Amino acid sequence: MNIVSDTVFTWFLTAIVGGVSGGWLVYDASNLWRLRGGDRRDPLVRDKLFGYTLGIVIALIGVVGTLRFHGVV
Amino acid sequence: MAVTQQRVVSPYNPANAVTASRFLTLPPLYWAIAHGYHQWATLFILICGTLDKVDGLVARIFDCRSAFGEVFDAITDALCYGFGLVVVAAFGWAPVAPVVLVVVLGFTNSGLRFAYAARAGKTVNYKSYAMERLVAYTGYLIGFATADFEVGYFYWLFPVVMIVIMVHDAKRMLVDPLPVALRAA
Repeated sequence: MNIVSDTVFTWFLTAIVGGVSGGWLVYDASNLWRLRGGDRRDPLVRDKLFGYTLGIVIALIGVVGTLRFHGVV
Repeated sequence: MAVTQQRVVSPYNPANAVTASRFLTLPPLYWAIAHGYHQWATLFILICGTLDKVDGLVARIFDCRSAFGEVFDAITDALCYGFGLVVVAAFGWAPVAPVVLVVVLGFTNSGLRFAYAARAGKTVNYKSYAMERLVAYTGYLIGFATADFEVGYFYWLFPVVMIVIMVHDAKRMLVDPLPVALRAA
């Protein structure tokens, strides 16, 4: 019992995984760029740096996973 | 001396209602997985994940943000995503070993947060920018299983990232000094 065809479902998944991951990569990269002059002795700044860096890692995992799904890598 | 009154927010507010409504997606999620309906299961976990984003928006619109709401949101994340992970693993849609590891790490993370609240002496949620991103990954993790989307790859990488974040957050919650705002309260 499907909602949409397999092809539509495949491209929907690609959009919500690959698209969101790609967007997130840009978003956290820009967050990190804005924080480059921040005071690293401030624990909040360090938390943000760590969070945005891990956000980039997670987004990269999503992008690579999408490419694997399509047999690109 | 000026006396500032702290605004009291009722726990029965629109944002918490949206958070609570996420539990309504769990029975149909189970039904879809039990019957092998991949697309329906993906839809229900997608709704659950979307409501997680909507509750924060509702809290801002109705100005009903509270410490209780943050903790309730975190507990709902744990219960909804924990349930989803256990069900996809139980029905063979996801590898059992990483799911068990993730559930154990999830309980450990909850314990760390209780310990942090105990240190602060009140209901307070440690804001972890990294864990917020991992929670989004968790929602997706169930979707990867329901959609049969590179399941092994995503499931085995997840606990590795989670351990890195938990080591960082454990130090922040248990070892580092409390933020000034909490110490003063």
